[in-house]
Amino acid sequence: MFNKSNLIKIEDFLWEIPKNFRNDMRVPARIYTHDEMLDSIAVDKSLEQLVNVATLPGIKGYALAMPDIHEGYGFPVGGVAAFDSEEGIISPGGIGYDINCGVRLLRSEKTFSEVKPHLHNLGRTIYHEVPSGVGVGGRLDLKGREFDMVLEKGAERMLELGYGEVQDLEHIESGGVLHTAAPELVSVHAKSRGRDQLGTMGAGNHFVEVDIVEVIFDNGEAEKLNIFKDQVTVLIHTGSRGLGHQIATDYIRIMMKVMPNYGIVLPDRELACAPFKSREGQEYFKAMSAGANFAWANRQLITWEVRKAWKDVLGKEGGKLSMVYDVAHNIAKIEEYTLDGKKYNLVIHRKGATRSFPGQPVLIPGSMGTNSYILVGQEKAMISSFGSSCHGAGRRMSRTRARKEVSVEELRQRLESMGIVVNAGSSKGLTEESPEAYKDVNEVVGVIHEAGIAKKVARLKPIAVIKG
Amino acid sequence: MTYKILEHTADVRMIVQADSLEKLFSEAVYGMMKIIEPKVDNKKEVIERKISLEAVDTTALLIDFLNEVLLATYIHKEVYNEVIFKSLSERSLEAKLSGFIAKSLGEDIKAVTYHEADVKNKKDGTWETMLIFDI
Repeated sequence: MFNKSNLIKIEDFLWEIPKNFRNDMRVPARIYTHDEMLDSIAVDKSLEQLVNVATLPGIKGYALAMPDIHEGYGFPVGGVAAFDSEEGIISPGGIGYDINCGVRLLRSEKTFSEVKPHLHNLGRTIYHEVPSGVGVGGRLDLKGREFDMVLEKGAERMLELGYGEVQDLEHIESGGVLHTAAPELVSVHAKSRGRDQLGTMGAGNHFVEVDIVEVIFDNGEAEKLNIFKDQVTVLIHTGSRGLGHQIATDYIRIMMKVMPNYGIVLPDRELACAPFKSREGQEYFKAMSAGANFAWANRQLITWEVRKAWKDVLGKEGGKLSMVYDVAHNIAKIEEYTLDGKKYNLVIHRKGATRSFPGQPVLIPGSMGTNSYILVGQEKAMISSFGSSCHGAGRRMSRTRARKEVSVEELRQRLESMGIVVNAGSSKGLTEESPEAYKDVNEVVGVIHEAGIAKKVARLKPIAVIKG
Repeated sequence: MTYKILEHTADVRMIVQADSLEKLFSEAVYGMMKIIEPKVDNKKEVIERKISLEAVDTTALLIDFLNEVLLATYIHKEVYNEVIFKSLSERSLEAKLSGFIAKSLGEDIKAVTYHEADVKNKKDGTWETMLIFDI
C-alpha cells in the first residue's frame, strides 16, 4: 500500500514516485493530483499498477497518471505511457478492452428556455432512436466487405452511407479514421460480436446526455467553438462495443503466448505486450486501428440518430446539431515528442486519458447528474504530459457498494429534483453509475487546468440523461 | 465450494474455490453467468456448445476458456447452466456447455482479465483463484 512518503512533489499538482522505489522500474511514475486527492488515490491498487507500467520495455520519460486515476487491471485507468517505436512495446491492456471509447459533443442553436418545454419528449425520443442495453442490436447489420469498409474508413464510411455531414469529419480526432487499420487482422469472432452493434450505446457508464452551457470560463475560446451561455448541447459517450472487446481479448491471448520469444517478463500478466516492431505488435496495432475506426463510425451513427430525434421533436425550428469535437480516451497513437533534446516517434498509450494537443478541444464528461467540461489543450501538455489530459471524473466506489448506497427510486427523485429527465433501461445500471460512485469532476478538471495541460472553456450541466 | 463477488473500484472481482479443477472451471462459468444476469423464458429447448482449447498454463487455460464462453454467450445470446469436461489437463481442455436461449442479458462483461488470476492447488487439496471481470 502506498502513502505520501513514497511520493515527491515536483511541482504544484504533480507528484513523482522515483525510479529507485522498485528496482524493476525503468522510469519514474508521475501523478497529476492535489494533496487531498492523493490520499484517496493511494487507497486502491492504482499506484502499484502505475509502477508496474514503469517497468515495461522501451518506456520513455515516465509512466503518467491523471487525477481521475483508479484501479484497473494491468494498467490503471487514467494513465498515459509512451514507448519508443523502435525499441519499445505495444500492450493491448494499455489501451483497454473498449478500444476508442470516447466522447463526442454536439452543439445546438437553441437555448434552454427554447428546449425546456420539449425536454421529456426529447429524452424519450433519443432513448428510442439510440438502441441501448446489453445484446441489443442496431439499425445496420453489415456483412463481409460492407462491414470491413467500416473498419477501414471509420466515420467517413458512415458519411458515404448517408449518416452525417462532411463538416463532421473536420471535428473528430484524426478525422475519425486511422489509416493503419487492417480489417483482415480482426478475427471472425470479433466481427461477429460487433456486427449488429453499430449505432448502439451499450450499457455500463455509456450514455447520451442533453446538457446546457452553465458557465463560460474563456469567452474567446468559447466563441471559436461557437459555444454560448445557456446553449443546449448533446454529449455522446460510447466506444467500439463487442468488436473492440474481442480484438483486445484475442491479441492479449496471442501476446501471452509469444512474450517468452522476446524475453519479456512482466509483474502482471494483464500487461501482456510485444515489441511494437514485431509481427504480433504490428498486427495488434492494425487491428486496434480497425477497432478505433468502428468506434468513430458508431458515434457517427449515434449522432445521426440523435439528430433524427432532435428533428422529430423540435421540427425545422429546432435548427441544426453541429459537431464541437470527438475525442478518443482508450487508444494508441504514434506521436513525435522531444525528450532531452532528441526527437522520438513514440507509441502513446492512453487508457482513460484524452489527447490534449494545443488548441484542440478536450471534452471531459462528468458522472451522471454532475457537470461536464469543455477545455482546450495547452502547449504545456506537449512538454509535460505526452499531449494528454484526464478523461472523466474517475470511479471511487465499487458498483456493488454504489448499489447499496442509494436506491433507484431515491436516485431518480434526486435527479428529477435537479431538473434532470432520466430515461434508463436498467435500474441496476442507473444506481451503479450514481454520482457518489465517482470523484468530484470539478476537482479533477481543476487539477488539469491549474497544472496548465488544458484550459477550462465552459462547464455543462445535464438536463436529460439517456442510458442503457 | 463456490464463487463470491468481492469489492473492486470499477470492475467485478470474484474469488472461486472448489474441491477439484473441473469444479473450479465450472463454478467460474456459473459465477460469470450470475454477473451477466440473463433472463430465460424457454427452458424446453436445450442448447449445446463445444469448446476445445490449449494454453500456456492452467491459469491462462481458465481465462481463455471463460473468454470463449463469454464470446458464445454474447454472439448467440445464450446462457449456460451446465459444463461437462470430456478432458481437462493443465494446459488443454475439451468441454461441452449446455444451456438455453436468453431472452435478455443484464450485464455487459467486456472481458475476463488475467489480472490477479492465479489458479492454485492448496495444501488441503482444494483449488482457488481470483478473477477480475472488466465491466
